[in-house]
Amino acid sequence: MCTGRIDPQFVLKAFEKGADGVLILGCHPGDCHYREGNYNALRRFHLLKKMLDQFGIEDGRFRLDWVSASEAEKFVGVINDMVKKVKALGPLKPAPPLPLSKKKGRGDIQAEAHG
Amino acid sequence: MSGGDKQGIMKAGVGVYFCSCGTNISENIDIDELVRFTSTLDTVEYVKSHNLLCSEEGKNYLAEDIIKQKPDRVVIAACTPKEHEKTFRNVLQKAGLNPYLFQMVNLREQVAWATSDKSSATEKAKSYIRAAVARVALQEPLEEREIDCNTDVLVIGAGPAGMEAALLLAKAGRKVYLVEKNSFIGGRVARYEEVFPKMECASCMMEPKMDEVLHHENIELLTCSEVQEVLGFLGNFVVRVRKKAGYVDKNKCIGCGACYDQCPVTVKNEFDYNLSDRKAIHVPYTGALPNVPVIDCMSCLRFEGRSDVYKQALDQGLITKREYETFKAEDCRLCKEACLFDAINYEDKDEVIEREVGGIVVATGFELFDPSVLPQFGYGVYPEVYTSLEFERILSQTGPTCGKLLMKDGREPESVAIIHCVGSRDKDFKDYCSGVCCLYALKFARLVEKHAPSVKVYDFYADWCVPGKDNQAFLDSIKKWKNIKFIHTTLPMNVPVKKRNGKLSLACTDVSNGKHVVSADMVVLCPAMVPAKDTARLSELLLIARGKEGFFAEGHTKLAPVSTNMEGIFIAGCSQGPKDIQGSVAQAAAAAGEVLSALVPGRKLKLDVLTAEIDENACAECRICIGLCPYNAIVLDKEKNVAVVNTVLCKGCGTCVAACPSGSARSRHFTTEQIFAEIEGVLK
Repeated sequence: MCTGRIDPQFVLKAFEKGADGVLILGCHPGDCHYREGNYNALRRFHLLKKMLDQFGIEDGRFRLDWVSASEAEKFVGVINDMVKKVKALGPLKPAPPLPLSKKKGRGDIQAEAHG
Repeated sequence: MSGGDKQGIMKAGVGVYFCSCGTNISENIDIDELVRFTSTLDTVEYVKSHNLLCSEEGKNYLAEDIIKQKPDRVVIAACTPKEHEKTFRNVLQKAGLNPYLFQMVNLREQVAWATSDKSSATEKAKSYIRAAVARVALQEPLEEREIDCNTDVLVIGAGPAGMEAALLLAKAGRKVYLVEKNSFIGGRVARYEEVFPKMECASCMMEPKMDEVLHHENIELLTCSEVQEVLGFLGNFVVRVRKKAGYVDKNKCIGCGACYDQCPVTVKNEFDYNLSDRKAIHVPYTGALPNVPVIDCMSCLRFEGRSDVYKQALDQGLITKREYETFKAEDCRLCKEACLFDAINYEDKDEVIEREVGGIVVATGFELFDPSVLPQFGYGVYPEVYTSLEFERILSQTGPTCGKLLMKDGREPESVAIIHCVGSRDKDFKDYCSGVCCLYALKFARLVEKHAPSVKVYDFYADWCVPGKDNQAFLDSIKKWKNIKFIHTTLPMNVPVKKRNGKLSLACTDVSNGKHVVSADMVVLCPAMVPAKDTARLSELLLIARGKEGFFAEGHTKLAPVSTNMEGIFIAGCSQGPKDIQGSVAQAAAAAGEVLSALVPGRKLKLDVLTAEIDENACAECRICIGLCPYNAIVLDKEKNVAVVNTVLCKGCGTCVAACPSGSARSRHFTTEQIFAEIEGVLK
């Protein structure tokens, strides 16, 4: 399986179930085990990031990075950095109500997104 | 999610096994606590622990226990699945349980080794166990599939690498189709006089091989041919090759040469890098194999209306006025009339040949970096500045000077300068070292010494790259020649070539800050090796990746040096990266070995089990998956108007599944429901 398999719903599901951060690690661009799945992951990541922002999920909680199997040091660095940032943000908080719809909270919108 | 799977959850009696991995896992995780916790999970029927499940004793215990307990599904919490997933799948199979009704939890690398506090590690392990138990309930039994395979092989390129691979495969009894774009075989090496470091005669070395290739009953040689289309996959490729018309019947021609003696058209010979002339009907050099001339329809008077060339021939006195009048109507038949064997056929046409093969070896070689983009060397401006391949031809007995060291004006030079690393080891051009230039520069020095011992040689180098068991001794022996002067500069690219007093003048500062001004009659550049022109086209055709330098990318630098990202397609020689003949031949042998091991007559090919599938009842024919599939594995079924996955081509990356808006694409063993169950299990 490949980062190209990552359905944005997986990320949403993780936040819904209480994850404080989601980190996706894939092969470097141009070096994908499955040729180009990581480019698709990258596109989906940017789109999903915009959506998460609207849900009030802070920037540091969702990250995509490239780590190859031989980059132990980078792997450790990225994980530690992610943990540090998520710890600084604290547990995932319910978002303030959106200005357009007073009644809708983050959970409602996610539930809709899942269909 | 289908109703059937939900029933599956209800029925799943999961057996969970913990492995302590000696003390690797138990030292940092409380296994007793994990066993207690796991027993409380709904679908878990029983929990066991063992000291070392991967040992022979452990595997036997596991198999016997599964037979005894009859679980519906199994979770094993041990090391990374990279290490023992396959081991345990085999045990399950032996115990009569489908190997895909099994999930592995990585307690060693991801928990015991990564989390230092024992109670946190135990808690973390619990969430992984919960995830695996939730997931395994949704897993489906999957069956391994096998298909027949073709064991014939296509080899592209008939240089030293392509010929070696073709011969080895042919000797093993495989049918080989050897495709070569030129009219001759032997590749670049056909142009060399001698090869380093032992100064072996290149044609004496190559000709027996070439002869074997020409006469081997298992090799079908297709010269003047290019691969046009490749469909399929390992064991089942269909290739289409365009064989260009050569207008000479190779079965009738005896290679006497009567035809080209008569040809009135003279053009530059590209085989000699335009340093000599040839006729429109020609062999590239004396001794070329196969010894069958071809008509170059770009210069032959009969084709393309080349009356301008014909006029030139008249002006140069090559034909008489009467001949000009007779033949300017593009009806020259001189070669056909000269041929005693009726071998010339003006009606010959290009043909497209289709062949079925199981594997492909790509050995398309290299070209040289074009030094005319570096104005400091004056290549293309001063006639006496040559590339190394041009100089090979000057030194060759079949070359433009018949092997005499002569300048273009016919005089023997008094001095020759050689410049290393042209366009190499420079981040603005090619940042790699081609690894052969130092050695052929030394070969040039030795050949100059042999041809004209009084000629002085100046060698501008940066570092010596002479690895291997023979090459240092070769360098040391050349250093003893009194007429050679080595000039050690940090960057040979900074040695400008200028014209002064009718000679070429080279000035530079060496590494010890010494100033040198050298006057030379001939300058030989050693440009970087770059991929052959066709590399990009073939990369698209064969769907094989290229590295940033443009050469074909190997599967793994160390462990899979001749594999590509496509199963069944292998690379050899300089198409994979710069190297010498020895390295190319070794890679060719490796590629032949890979083919022989991958494709065995009578043996079926196992297919990937974990592929995608599309539910035809839910597919809305949006075709998003077809555009995204990196393996061209999805096609549209035009009758049913649904997308269909070719499970032979599918590698199971799951890109189509993530993109499918209707949810009709599924990844076997990685369904959305299974992954959701895993996420929920971890986070519960």
